Amino acid sequence: MKKLQISAVVLLLLTGAPAAFSQETTECFESRKGASEVTQKEVSPGLPNVKCSPRTGGVLWWGDPYDGTQPMGEMPIEADYSHGEAVVKPRESKLKLMALCGVACHNGVFPPVPKDKNPRALNMHKDVVPDSLNLQHGRGGIWCLDCHHTTTRNKLVDNFGNEISFNQPQKLCGKCHGQIYRGWREGMHGKRIGEWASDGKKRWFVCTECHNPHDVQQGDRNSGFAQLRPERAPILPKGIYNTDHEGHHGSSDHQDDEAAKH
Amino acid sequence: MSENTIPVVELSDQSPCGGESVGQWDPNAQDDRSLDSPSRRTFVQNSAAGMSAASLMGTAALVTGSDDADANTTWAEHFQGNYRLMSDEEKAEALDRLEKRYSLEYEKDVTVDGTEAADNVLFGYALNIKKCIGCRRCVKACVQENNQTRGDEQEIEWIRVLKMEKGEFTQEKLKDGYPGEVGIQVGGNAYGAVGVVLEGEHYYEPDKVPEQDSHYMPIACMQCEKPPCVKVCPVRTTYREADGPVVIDYNWCIGCRMCIGACPYWARRFNWGEPKLPKEEMNPDTHYLGNRPRMKGVVEKCTFCIQRTRQGRYPACVEVCPVGARKFGNLLDPNSEVRRVLATKRVFRLKAELNTYPKFFYYVD
Repeated sequence: MKKLQISAVVLLLLTGAPAAFSQETTECFESRKGASEVTQKEVSPGLPNVKCSPRTGGVLWWGDPYDGTQPMGEMPIEADYSHGEAVVKPRESKLKLMALCGVACHNGVFPPVPKDKNPRALNMHKDVVPDSLNLQHGRGGIWCLDCHHTTTRNKLVDNFGNEISFNQPQKLCGKCHGQIYRGWREGMHGKRIGEWASDGKKRWFVCTECHNPHDVQQGDRNSGFAQLRPERAPILPKGIYNTDHEGHHGSSDHQDDEAAKH
Repeated sequence: MSENTIPVVELSDQSPCGGESVGQWDPNAQDDRSLDSPSRRTFVQNSAAGMSAASLMGTAALVTGSDDADANTTWAEHFQGNYRLMSDEEKAEALDRLEKRYSLEYEKDVTVDGTEAADNVLFGYALNIKKCIGCRRCVKACVQENNQTRGDEQEIEWIRVLKMEKGEFTQEKLKDGYPGEVGIQVGGNAYGAVGVVLEGEHYYEPDKVPEQDSHYMPIACMQCEKPPCVKVCPVRTTYREADGPVVIDYNWCIGCRMCIGACPYWARRFNWGEPKLPKEEMNPDTHYLGNRPRMKGVVEKCTFCIQRTRQGRYPACVEVCPVGARKFGNLLDPNSEVRRVLATKRVFRLKAELNTYPKFFYYVD
């Protein structure tokens, strides 16, 4: 029975992958590359949902900032944001194995619930957590099941063992990062698009749309945000052929070089 | 010196509009001055005085001897007044003319908005300089939104991002910037002597940003409350709108570039050549004072995306910033994001010593 389930999953994965490649679509990312992808389409005649950078694949412009969103629901709000309309883009549709993980592999019986909290090497999910023994989050202080629900693996978990939806990662992240969470609720930390008015309709970006929870330290960089490829530099003014002048402001050596050229 | 010669900018400090205060500058008014100085514009004003723009269109058809709508609209456009001094009807006609011309030119339904400033709104901007990663997506989003000229020949970008060295008080650097054996040092700063200071790179091109030991400083128009560019404009085509942004009536701009010289923030750009804007890339939602297509020989600048913000939407650069470093809102609303930044963060304004009173604030967490 178990084998049957696994082979079904493998079959699904195999058949699903080529179908995705065969479609001629433009995919670009909104904030975090690899986790906030959006497919370009028309929301009304002549109006694309997003315009993308041909160089980096990043979204540069939203035709409809609320496309694909849903109400944030019981958003934990303080202050005056309560009378503004808040929407979020559901995260679950972005997670590749989400539809299967809670029913097939992690159905509460198979694989068995871990007996202790000693991290062990994962044979699966190396695409998500390349080095599971060296999780880049929490500096050794946390492990998988501090965030993921023990038995219901398509949910996250709060401090009391209750389920948290993947669509509301802020409730999980706020367990430890209270200061940041407060800043986010107040509209300071993070990103919103839509209307500027404090009581306007905004699409709020949730934690995992910008931060990779499995690699939040980014190694030596010790930064929550992964490095990105930058957009093209401005073109040089006419008559200037390189950028050697930058970084040599007022340097007498450089001025001599310039003089020698003319 | 009579009251008539008070510059507009000083008046605008008291009344945000300033428009009504400059009646004596009405170019459509027929007065003795126009007879004394027979310039091109005053000649036209004399011949057009008392006529409505509609009858001017008729004149245009007679003068050009053609029924070609394009030629006639251009003619009428050429002789329209300073946007600030136009009546509501004249403004409506001007917007209509432009919509027709742009729609023909770009082969899509172009709207030219003329929405005025809302009451009790003063736009302000805040940028978290510690968060910025220098990815330049704001720069390119601005170009997508604001119909700047693009291509290899001429490229206009309203935002520039400077890469800067991270300052540090290390033992080796402590003595930099202090005079050695040669006497008194002029220039430089606390971390670097004058000859070796890395002031900022515009053209950095690494594979990935942010780079080690670098921070980034995006600069665009600061929308000063006392804008030096407005003070120097000889034709008063650039002015501060009631909700804060400093705007330009491109049609009235003579291209003297005095404002570019006056701006301490390098915020203004000049269309040296005929602007190139591909039809398919043109953003059809425009505002007269904002992102409508410009012509050769006029100055342009950031308007806080007036075509978006007057309709309630965030500016394009705020929305695109992948790290959420950019905040925008109403300075008169205590609950707005920008007011919260001012209330809770450490804030500075660029070149505050110049008393330009920018409405663009840099902050750190």
